[in-house]
Amino acid sequence: MSEPLLSIRGLRAKVEGEDGEILRGVDLDLERGEVHALMGPNGSGKSTLAKVIAGHPAYEVTAGEILFEGEDVLELEPDERSRAGIFLAFQYPAEIPGVSIANFLRTAVNSRLGEGEEMDVFGFQRTLTEKMEMLKMDPGFATRYVNDGFSGGEKKRNEILQMAVLRPALGVLDETDSGLDIDALKIVARGVNRLSEADEALGVLLITHYKRILNYIQPNVVHVMMAGRIAESGGASLADKLEAEGYDWLQQAAAAV
Amino acid sequence: MSTMTAGPAESTLAAADFDTLAGGLTEPEAIAGARAAAWERFTALPWPTKKSEEWRYTDLTKVGFEALTPVVPAPATAEALSADVREVLGRSGERAGVVVLREGRVAHLELEPEVARSGVVLCSIRDAADRHPELLRRALLEAQPGPAEEKLWALHLALLGGGYFLHVPRGVEMPAPIHAFHIVERAGTLSSAHSFVYGESGARAAVIDEFLSDDLAAETVSLHGATITGEGGAGIEYVALQRFGRGVKQFSTQHVAAGRDSRIVTFNVTLGGDLSRADVTSRLDGPGSDSEMLALWFGDSDQHFDHHTLQHHAAPHAHSDLLFKGALTDSGSSVFRGLIRVDKGAQLTDAYQTNRNLLLSEGSHASALPNLEIEADDVRCSHGATIGQVEDGQLFYLMSRGLTRRQAERLLVFGFFDEVLGRLPMEGVRARVREAIEEKIGL
Repeated sequence: MSEPLLSIRGLRAKVEGEDGEILRGVDLDLERGEVHALMGPNGSGKSTLAKVIAGHPAYEVTAGEILFEGEDVLELEPDERSRAGIFLAFQYPAEIPGVSIANFLRTAVNSRLGEGEEMDVFGFQRTLTEKMEMLKMDPGFATRYVNDGFSGGEKKRNEILQMAVLRPALGVLDETDSGLDIDALKIVARGVNRLSEADEALGVLLITHYKRILNYIQPNVVHVMMAGRIAESGGASLADKLEAEGYDWLQQAAAAV
Repeated sequence: MSTMTAGPAESTLAAADFDTLAGGLTEPEAIAGARAAAWERFTALPWPTKKSEEWRYTDLTKVGFEALTPVVPAPATAEALSADVREVLGRSGERAGVVVLREGRVAHLELEPEVARSGVVLCSIRDAADRHPELLRRALLEAQPGPAEEKLWALHLALLGGGYFLHVPRGVEMPAPIHAFHIVERAGTLSSAHSFVYGESGARAAVIDEFLSDDLAAETVSLHGATITGEGGAGIEYVALQRFGRGVKQFSTQHVAAGRDSRIVTFNVTLGGDLSRADVTSRLDGPGSDSEMLALWFGDSDQHFDHHTLQHHAAPHAHSDLLFKGALTDSGSSVFRGLIRVDKGAQLTDAYQTNRNLLLSEGSHASALPNLEIEADDVRCSHGATIGQVEDGQLFYLMSRGLTRRQAERLLVFGFFDEVLGRLPMEGVRARVREAIEEKIGL
């Protein structure tokens, strides 16, 4: 298996039915076991990229490809991508009143079973309890309705809980750090790190505005997205430079090109 | 079959006269008189057509009543519980009693001895006519539906003989529900049954009427009536769980009379059959009475579910709250037509009516017609209805976790239903209803 976990080539995308591309030729390779941070100013297309990877129906891919474990996923439905091993931690997770977290996750785990396979109900319960402890969640959390009336921090923790239970090969974390106080941020970051430790092949694409979370999750690569393209890629020190100097120098460089 | 020579001669409804229907049985006067009068009314009345507001969305002329074989009411028998009933009971929680009815005839009836010792009566309505003729007569008179429903109601009464009677004396609190199974086995029949539930002052009772059949090859009609009466301070929970097989059409009329400070919950769950029509009336007779009217339905293929409701506030200071939710897929269709009527003297009425519909397919269709008719001037009433689709954001969220579109939609239906299920007071009843819905929706 020499191909990257995720390989994005010349990806262009726009909102379905609208003019104007948001992604204007994205190229990105992410190897197994790597953590990539994706930074960039508001409106540069980071969240759009996350949603396009997950197969959000509101976006139309006009050119390029997304290869996941060497397979083109653009023709796959969102549920097929999920079962293949792609996980998106939403920036704004949907609220599902009337459906408990336990019921939701049980259905999601069930959807991964093959024909005739029976779910191990006790095993599921054990896993759920264990992961909730890891994320310092109250045991009663599992009976609450999915994201219904959750605080910002609870919603983000719930996203990481789902990732922990579903064990994807690739986690795309869309601003999972935004709106978190420092304690909640540490819990979420530790959760992600634990998942990386438990599965050395886990790939993570960490979309963020701020360097803060990178103090707790060490990226192998930092990308900067500007106007729908990856404008710059580098090591962890690139995040420091962005924090010190902002994005202006990149904008000027882009304008010069 | 030659062994069944004792059975009365059977004919179609078109060819039947009252003597055929009476089946040569000796009946208590309270029943025989009511039946004979009802038969006369039935034959005199025309079938309502789609021109009447009440039948605008359900074409009765398309039901082949005349060709059906009316089931002649037969005396109760004492059969052992059949496997299908035992199976449901095995998965249900505690119960105070069980009734099994086959085409309306009581085939099995049991009441926990301890509950019987507390004075609770559970019997066939034939026995009730001997033991409580006055209560029975009053209950029948009370449940007099409007002109457009009268034809079917008359037919229901003319066939009446099947059904059960539950009487809970003053202050007695039943520890668990009565579970009644209304089973239809014979294709092409027209059968009828009635559930009488009577709670004296301060009594507590819960009843589940579960309707079931296999898929039947010929058009089959099941008529059902329920009369639920709560005296002062009584608390009654009544659930009708309709999970007939295909081929069956149900017409059901439920009538609640709520006395002073009583609290009565009715819950209709409609899942099965080809066509299901429910007329549900709650009459708030006593000040401080409280009626909660709930319903859930899930219709697929070409099922048609039609619900008509009346919250009739006849007394002041009463409260009624209706919440009907339905989900449809394929070419399923449903109707909700509800009325809050507040009489002149019913000041300080508090009445709410909400119908919400979720459409999962292009071909499904829901009609919602909420209405108010208020003659008092100091009331709080509201009504509303919505017809919507699954939210794209929710659907994508669930699918992004691996649920197929179908699984995601069905899980959202569960979520949509949960608010109503949560309002059922008894956990055992709630669990049974949830299980039946899961079985229908499938995940």
